[in-house]
Amino acid sequence: MRVIVDRLSKSYRDRSGQDLVALDGIGLTVEPEEFVAILGPSGCGKSTLLNIIAGLLPATSGDVVFEGERRPGQPLTATVFQEFALFPWRTARANVEFGLEELGLPPAERKERSARFIAMTGLEGFESRFPHQLSGGMRQRVGIARALAVDPAVLLMDEPFSALDAQTRTLMMEELLGIWERARTSILYVTHNIQEAVYMADRVVVLSRRPGRVLEVVPVELKRPRHEGQLGESAFLLAAERIWGLIKSQAQAALVEGKS
Amino acid sequence: MRRRSAFALVAGALLLWAGVSPVGADPAVKIGALKLTSSAPLFIGVDKGFFKEYGIDPELVFFQAAAPIATALATGQIDVGATGITAALYNIVLGGEQIWLVADKGREWPGYPLTGIVVQKDQYDGGLRAIADLRGKRIGITTLGSTFHYSLGNILEKSGLKLEDVRVVPLQTMPAAIEALKGKQVDAILLPQPFPGTAEAQGFGKILFWAGDLHPWQTVAVFYSKKFAADRKRAVAFMKGYVKASRYYYDAVLIQKDGRPAPGANYDEVVRITAKYTEARPEVIRLGFSFQDRNARLLVTDIERQMKWWADNGFMKRTIPLKGIVDTSFVEEAAKAVPEK
Amino acid sequence: MAPERVAVRDRAAFLRRADHRLLRVAALAGLLMLWEALTRIGFIPALFLPSPLGVLRELGEMTASGQLMVHVAASLRRLVLGFAAGALAGVIVGIATGFFSRAEAVGQPLIAATFPIPKIALLPLLILWLGIGEPSKVAVIALGVFFPMAINTYAGVREADPLLVRAAVAFGAGRWSVIRKVILPSALPMIFAGLKLGAGTALLLLVAAEMIAADSGIGFLVLHAGNIMDTTKLMVGIVCLSLLGVLSHWMLARFERLAVPWRHT
Repeated sequence: MRVIVDRLSKSYRDRSGQDLVALDGIGLTVEPEEFVAILGPSGCGKSTLLNIIAGLLPATSGDVVFEGERRPGQPLTATVFQEFALFPWRTARANVEFGLEELGLPPAERKERSARFIAMTGLEGFESRFPHQLSGGMRQRVGIARALAVDPAVLLMDEPFSALDAQTRTLMMEELLGIWERARTSILYVTHNIQEAVYMADRVVVLSRRPGRVLEVVPVELKRPRHEGQLGESAFLLAAERIWGLIKSQAQAALVEGKS
Repeated sequence: MRRRSAFALVAGALLLWAGVSPVGADPAVKIGALKLTSSAPLFIGVDKGFFKEYGIDPELVFFQAAAPIATALATGQIDVGATGITAALYNIVLGGEQIWLVADKGREWPGYPLTGIVVQKDQYDGGLRAIADLRGKRIGITTLGSTFHYSLGNILEKSGLKLEDVRVVPLQTMPAAIEALKGKQVDAILLPQPFPGTAEAQGFGKILFWAGDLHPWQTVAVFYSKKFAADRKRAVAFMKGYVKASRYYYDAVLIQKDGRPAPGANYDEVVRITAKYTEARPEVIRLGFSFQDRNARLLVTDIERQMKWWADNGFMKRTIPLKGIVDTSFVEEAAKAVPEK
Repeated sequence: MAPERVAVRDRAAFLRRADHRLLRVAALAGLLMLWEALTRIGFIPALFLPSPLGVLRELGEMTASGQLMVHVAASLRRLVLGFAAGALAGVIVGIATGFFSRAEAVGQPLIAATFPIPKIALLPLLILWLGIGEPSKVAVIALGVFFPMAINTYAGVREADPLLVRAAVAFGAGRWSVIRKVILPSALPMIFAGLKLGAGTALLLLVAAEMIAADSGIGFLVLHAGNIMDTTKLMVGIVCLSLLGVLSHWMLARFERLAVPWRHT
């Protein structure tokens, strides 16, 4: 399905009664099977945007509309969280099956589906482990499997690899791309890491500091499937430089102000 | 010359005083008792100076319950105890702490209403009239191992029942037992006067029988601590005062006329003295004076029977040979020595 | 300045704590032996503190005659019933007040007002209402267990990780799914803490209830033995109570390890 975000705004009332504008008139579109990254400095509201699209927060004004064909019972979105958000009392498999339970699928079908995505994310042999018995990378794979298992129209990923160490992060990015090549859902991927955004996405939506506005949408002209060798290509460097140029001053100002 | 003779006179008087005065030289005899009518003979002895007559300085120590009296005797905190004979007392001796049963201070006796079997009014109206009718009923007493428990067990046996044929409900205190009867949480209770009288007067109970009419037994006794019993001179002296008080008491309240106890010599005085020490109302006191032997002699054979009953019912591991717990020599010596006026 | 050569010393050695397994056992055994010896030579009068071996012998006799089992069974029955009732009610109220703001507004003040009342003080009232039989005993135990359970469950519910709740909603969970699948499991550690607290209170109230109008049970046994000055039997009762306390604590700990495996490795 296509996701259309139209003039989306979100404001909060803070403790002293002041109105804080988190998002100001965001507009963007995610085409079917497209991989879109949302990037911006700290505090630009990118996680807020994702939560609104997921239906976990109400917008103050504007809409988010999903357009296109949908399988009966197919959920609009599924989310992968930065801090994994796995249920510690459930095994890996039971975590993967959570969304399937809420969809009302019978046990046999749940088992089959979860097995498929457990295999797809390389978790075979670890299904019966509890999250505290898994490494960070494995936990996020469970998170990804859980989200993919419900077959959402759009996969929302909120800085999914920030909590992992650098080596694991690199490997996981490769894996995600591999999984995506096979699953081919649309992905909306929030990150603050330019390298990550350019390497993974078809387009990068660059947001400003609060109040978050779309500064520019930077297309990435790299061929798929992506591979490590492309990190030196001019298309990569150009896109990365362009984005850095957009947010550099923003990031500096944020640092000085001390707010994030 | 004058000064020397005056000095001799004073010195002589002092020596005389030191040698002759018995009272004040010995410590007081501590007597542990409850504020019940059944302690009347002791109150008489104290109030009318009978103990002082024989050189004993009595000090009444009041307790709230019978069990602490027993332990106070065992530890020697009191010299004399006046309390019900219960399994606890026997177990104290079995447990290795010596106390002595020395004199009578109350019996359940035919013709002398003391402990009553009071049934719930509704039960009575519904036909509960005989002991045999108590089968399967809930019967309230204060504690297991109490004198009421003993009375109940023996009364049941006389009617062919066993304790297991009824539901014994321990209620801890006498007021709690009365409340339980009133609230119909038990079908009958065993309590001493004035509780049975009160229950009938207030209409929620009916006195079926007096325990003494069904099963007479040696219920309350005078005990000596081990230390006091060893002090022969004072132990006998105390007993003399007690025997004198006992006769006074018997002649005042226990003389029978037409099969019922009737007021005798000094009846009102005895009531007044009892009221003074128990702080109870005279009308209540008049309801129940317990029977005891005129010379305060113990019913020794009953002691043996009691121990056997407790042992058979599992409250004692074994019985004690009589000479290990009873010593009637004090009361015998005193009864012979105290003149009949 | 002459060049030095210094080897590194273990400076934190004094902070490390050893298990001293042998010492633990030896200390307990030593105490018991001392106690036995003192009773034998008569330094401690047997009536006031029976010897450990005597207590053990009495325990054996009472078990063989079946007498002890009667009392233990009666006490266990009351304990289990009261505990289950109080725990169940407590968990339900705790979840309700923790999750629903209206329930909290109604429930919290009520609980705060009634919680400080010592439950033992309510016993005579309960006997008046429910009679001297089993119901009043089970009720007082249930009340004693209810409060720590309700309060701890409430805390456990409030403490539930908002991220996990958000994740559940993100995957389509509604109110009851969230309660059943996220809030409850989240609150389990706090619930078990409440269970342990409740177990101690339950035992205390059991003994109190059995001392006021009962004809069976370990509390009754202790009271009765005291009344007839059979101090050996009294000690047997106390030993049983101690064992009951230790056993229930151990069982709860095992049960917690099974039910909350993610907190214990």
